[in-house]
Amino acid sequence: MATRTEHEARDGESPPEVGRGGRHPVATAVRVFGELLITAGLVLGLFVVYSLWWTNVLAGRAADRQGDTVRGHWAEGRGPGALDTRDGIGFLHVPAMGNGEVLVKKGTTTKALNNGIAGYYTDPVKSALPWDEQGNFTLAAHRDGHGARFHDIDKVRTGDPVVFETRDTWYVYEVYETLPETSKFNVGVIQPVPRESGVTEPGRYITLTTCTPVYTSKYRYIVWGELVRTEKVDRDRTKPVELR
Amino acid sequence: MYGWIWRHLPGNAWVRAVISLVLALAVVYALFQYVFPWAEPLLPFGDVTVDGEGTSGAGTGQ
Repeated sequence: MATRTEHEARDGESPPEVGRGGRHPVATAVRVFGELLITAGLVLGLFVVYSLWWTNVLAGRAADRQGDTVRGHWAEGRGPGALDTRDGIGFLHVPAMGNGEVLVKKGTTTKALNNGIAGYYTDPVKSALPWDEQGNFTLAAHRDGHGARFHDIDKVRTGDPVVFETRDTWYVYEVYETLPETSKFNVGVIQPVPRESGVTEPGRYITLTTCTPVYTSKYRYIVWGELVRTEKVDRDRTKPVELR
Repeated sequence: MYGWIWRHLPGNAWVRAVISLVLALAVVYALFQYVFPWAEPLLPFGDVTVDGEGTSGAGTGQ
């Protein structure tokens, strides 16, 4: 009996399950676990690269292509009348953001905004359009990734110009109020008369919304402007003085 | 894990190195092309609109 027990005990100690290279299974398990952790770290790092760089590359291409389409239509004399706004209604210029022109299309779905454009709201509050008699022209665009069109929204100050370009008209707005942080449920900021910005009368407003702080979307950043004048587009598409 | 893959690749060290590189690039491609685009909307980094509760806002005026 005693001998057999001893024999069994020795058998248990003997190393038949030792893996390749003479390593203990526990060592192998620990090593695989470590490798998985390293792999996870690399994947997360790649995700950051994807979010902050690659999506911008893709969105930049898509936006350029779509912008060319719209300018092509304009050259042919189509749009931006009510009938042909599917490809975009015009271009937003915010000199303070220093990002050139941003194509504006209908709708604020993730899919649309991921193409490096700004969208005007259809939901939950329908946006007015710049040529409407009165109302609030409400826009959203990405702060980071996917073109990051509103990345530098925090550089926009009261009094800065915001210009919207359509086929025939430059709409020149002036920023009169900003709201650096608000809840994402605060639908009041895009109402036709955005009382939160301090106005009480119907007018021709513009509202830019994006997420804040940068790299997250915990809150929303809001910029309000009011139309100060319009200018006819001339033959050379001479830019209004605010954009020169 | 990586050691196991290395041991099961054919050829000498150079061939294995080249194959490893190709495999790594294939994985990166798959991540950028399929995995990340799928995962991104599930993460709360890219929402830029103000919205009522229930983001798609079904039933609110279209």
